[in-house]
Amino acid sequence: MAWRNLWRNRRRTFLTASALSFGFVAAVLMMGFMNGMMEEMVSNGTEVVTGQIQIHAEAYRPERSIHDTMGGREGLDVGALVAAAEAQNGVAGVAPRLYGGGLVSSGDETVGAVLMGVDPEREPRVSRFASVFVEGGMPGPGEVAVGAALADKIGIAVGDEAVLVAPAADGSTGNDLFGVSGIYRLDLGGFDDSYALLELGTLQDFLAMDRGRIHEVAISVDRVRDADPVAERVAVAVAGLSPDLATEPWSVFLGQLYFVVSLASAMNSVVAFMIFGMAIFGVANTMLLATFERRREFAVARALGTSGVALGRIVVYEGLLLGVVALAAGAALAFPLLAHIRANPIDLSAFVGTYSFMGSAIRPQLTVEYSFQEPLVSAVALLGTGIVSALLPAWRAARLPPADVLADR
Amino acid sequence: MKKAAILFILAGAVLAAAPAAAQTDPEILEIIDEVDRMMQGASSAGSMRMEIDTEHWSRSLEMQVWSLGTEYSLIRVESPAREAGTATLKVENEVWNYLPRADRTIKIPPSMMLGSWMGSHVTNDDLVKESRLIEDYDIVISHDGDRDGEDVWEFTMTPRPEAPVIWGRIEQRIRKRDRMPLWAHYYDEDGTLARTMTFSDIRTMGGRTIPTRIMIEPADGEERTVITYVAIEFDVGLDEDFFSLRNLRAHQ
Repeated sequence: MAWRNLWRNRRRTFLTASALSFGFVAAVLMMGFMNGMMEEMVSNGTEVVTGQIQIHAEAYRPERSIHDTMGGREGLDVGALVAAAEAQNGVAGVAPRLYGGGLVSSGDETVGAVLMGVDPEREPRVSRFASVFVEGGMPGPGEVAVGAALADKIGIAVGDEAVLVAPAADGSTGNDLFGVSGIYRLDLGGFDDSYALLELGTLQDFLAMDRGRIHEVAISVDRVRDADPVAERVAVAVAGLSPDLATEPWSVFLGQLYFVVSLASAMNSVVAFMIFGMAIFGVANTMLLATFERRREFAVARALGTSGVALGRIVVYEGLLLGVVALAAGAALAFPLLAHIRANPIDLSAFVGTYSFMGSAIRPQLTVEYSFQEPLVSAVALLGTGIVSALLPAWRAARLPPADVLADR
Repeated sequence: MKKAAILFILAGAVLAAAPAAAQTDPEILEIIDEVDRMMQGASSAGSMRMEIDTEHWSRSLEMQVWSLGTEYSLIRVESPAREAGTATLKVENEVWNYLPRADRTIKIPPSMMLGSWMGSHVTNDDLVKESRLIEDYDIVISHDGDRDGEDVWEFTMTPRPEAPVIWGRIEQRIRKRDRMPLWAHYYDEDGTLARTMTFSDIRTMGGRTIPTRIMIEPADGEERTVITYVAIEFDVGLDEDFFSLRNLRAHQ
């Protein structure tokens, strides 16, 4: 009956359903854009250097003392640690790292730098260093790779020798000559002007540390959104190797970024709430008018013995059905649109430049990210809108005094 | 490097051969000048031991030291073998290190001046700043009289508004009878004690009375650096030319 009623005034039904569909499309798109931006921020924030999961000695952060290596002064079995992490489902890459602070010098120029010891084979699966070399490549034993800005500052090029000086773990001052293997440009924060990459074993020797001593294991995951469960699995897998390991997903060690992303996600809900809030009033208005137009129809139904409750129920069903129709139409429109934008991000570079924010470079383009949750929430909200906006008209319809209406009083 | 600078400067209770500072009491300048005269043009050559205790390691270095006044010093590590030949040259406000393994001389950049010198609790900045106390600080006598049975002065030094210094205040006790410094307390900008320098084993070495043991202790923790003079001679006839980059590199 409700279904047939909907088809009695097609124009009205079409308009109302369009409003709902449009609301649905708008909500899904808005949230898609937001998610796209957030995903971009998170991947850029985590894929460039940090990875999505990191393991440290518990004492390491935030001071990052050179002495707080995993497994304490004795270190641990780095190979076993890497293998254990690598074996976990969802892990894409595992890179052990060692850090030191020192000076990089060439000729008369000297600058302070973070010395980062990396495994040249494993590092590319976690960070982007290996793929952003302007010249040369990752450092082998006895070599160093530096950022473009640092290279400019002290005037070194690939093939030159650089002097490195750093306080070693035993209190002595490490100093040696290293061949420059490459110059990279990450275009991100301080990495180009104050980082120097060395092969892990080379840096361990330089800092008078054993092979088992590292500060960090950075892990990339297959899907960024799975970082938390993967981190839990990795934590369990490596727990036996040393009692003091802290395994953390990016939401912990990039707390600020996580905060911004969470905020954006909360904003998504507010946006959806506003869109459907407006839709509720629009649809309720239409339905109320319709109810008024259909007073005689309802009065006849009442006069023929339909109870007020049954009549109200029919109106609510109409609202629900309207929602279903609108949803079908909205989905038919929204998803191809999402797919299209995802394949062809909207380029905004004419309006804004690339922006670097909290270690995360944001490209000036609008892209969308698929997500199961937001369209579902929107769909439920849409159906809810249909029902809620039918409640008042239904109540009015149920309370119509049939005799008065029929008598045109 | 620190050794000579610290020793002489603090020993002289800020004896730097600097022009008289406008804000500082003439009486203090007189004291300083007196000590200064004792040190005036003094060149020295000696050897010292630096023992460093940190939470993570302890070690001991033997070094040779040359200095001229408070503006020039050259220090060369003799042992342990791994670091033998490592040398530091301080000329006025600049510090160079010679690194034997790399066979290179590097000038410490401004950003690293607060870094540790040779892993000790002495910073590169300490080396250059000690000779500038009288220019960077207003000095007043905060106590004049008996302390622990000794007739002493206590100086309080507060940085001048534009002075490029890291301390909020320095206090120092000087023994009157021989102008020997006993200790110096360094406070940060919040007025919290950051480190203590203690002078002891005052005795005659190379014909002069000097504190032969200087202990530097950060206020937090159990760490310390102790510098001990093994031998020193004064008026050894060094001039400014001796403190050159060429001599910094020279193996002897």
